[in-house]
Amino acid sequence: MLLTPDIVSAVASTGASARVAEHVAPRFRVGDRILVRNYNPATHTRLPGYLRGKRGIVEADYGVFAFPDTHAHSLGEKPQHCYSVRFTARELWGETASDRDTLRVDVFDDYMDLV
Amino acid sequence: MNGIHDLGGRHGIGPIVREENEPVFHAEWERRAFAMFAGTFVFAGYSVDEFRHAIENIDPAHYLESSYYEHWLHAFEDILVKRGFITREEYDARIAKLVKNGGNDVVDA
Amino acid sequence: MSKPVSKPESDPAVRTRALESILVEKGLLDPKALDALVDIYEHKVGPRNGAKVVARAWVDPEYKKRLLSDATTAIKELGFSGLQGEDMVVVENTPEVHNLVVCTLCSCYPWPTLGLPPVWYKSAPYRARAVSDPRGVLKEFGTTLSENVEVRVWDTTAELRYLVLPERPADTENLTEQQLADLVTRDSMIGVTTLGSSAPTSASKH
Repeated sequence: MLLTPDIVSAVASTGASARVAEHVAPRFRVGDRILVRNYNPATHTRLPGYLRGKRGIVEADYGVFAFPDTHAHSLGEKPQHCYSVRFTARELWGETASDRDTLRVDVFDDYMDLV
Repeated sequence: MNGIHDLGGRHGIGPIVREENEPVFHAEWERRAFAMFAGTFVFAGYSVDEFRHAIENIDPAHYLESSYYEHWLHAFEDILVKRGFITREEYDARIAKLVKNGGNDVVDA
Repeated sequence: MSKPVSKPESDPAVRTRALESILVEKGLLDPKALDALVDIYEHKVGPRNGAKVVARAWVDPEYKKRLLSDATTAIKELGFSGLQGEDMVVVENTPEVHNLVVCTLCSCYPWPTLGLPPVWYKSAPYRARAVSDPRGVLKEFGTTLSENVEVRVWDTTAELRYLVLPERPADTENLTEQQLADLVTRDSMIGVTTLGSSAPTSASKH
């Protein structure tokens, strides 16, 4: 397929969602306490290094998306849930961090386990 | 991969430099490189994940020194060569030809 | 497995020209389509779109409710949708919570509402520090928050794209929706500034 001027506007305003219209059971529920896996692949991942081994709480379930770690390497979409997970600044950066501040990171099913 | 792109929490990277009244693009080639994302995506059918991974494979020192759209350019080159849409040889030959002609449009069919 | 890292090459302007010319010759790329894309993102899409969303949320409580519960649909109501805004989340600043958005792994940014990101947002220093030193980053942008306010950093690591709904400035009851939209800056919708604060280079009207 060739991108032609007449379809540019439609391509831009439609985009390409990474959502997958497939029913996949979530591994977690809102409110669950989770531990991020010590997951350190040499291949593509969307798990930032600073989260490895940290504890958080699931705040929202965003639904089912293609899993970047397999999708990047033509190993399939491996559709799974992506969640907003809350971490305290202290959990991530230690005792010198603010005791009030927090982070929200988008985390896939395969990156974490229930505590 | 925990490459240089995985920047969250790193110390010593320096202050945040801002530009007042920053233009959307800083050079004509940035316009073309930006637009080539959608342009190549449509015919080459790669995923944004594959695109990001190609950027993660940039030489780490160069990653920090080069601009965002140069990262994109690297990803186009990497993916299009890998998928056989262009060959490294024809690409290098075209670059050499453009350099010889002062970077101007010298494409003769 | 990952490939060996590749070496830096020649001038990106020459490489871009070389790549485009080869792809055009092969019939894979239409240069006029590239012109059209550039025109959209250089002239039509930008933070004025996001500002309209924010102003509407300020004047219309029902819209705000929809925006916070299903941002993608609510933003589309105003005509903004598409690439890098396919799945939107809007997070609201309050007297208790200040939101700040970053993408530590690359440079994810909500194009339909904010346009293309500024260089600083894509730069290593912002990506490195926004998660671990958000108050320091905010200070560089002229934003000082009370210790009692929770700074909530959103690291946009997946395919959700975030827009901050800033607090409505005081004494703006008599302004029209359009006048309110004119007050909203790009940086306030990323969360590096508030609309009460005066950051030296926060304005981005184009």
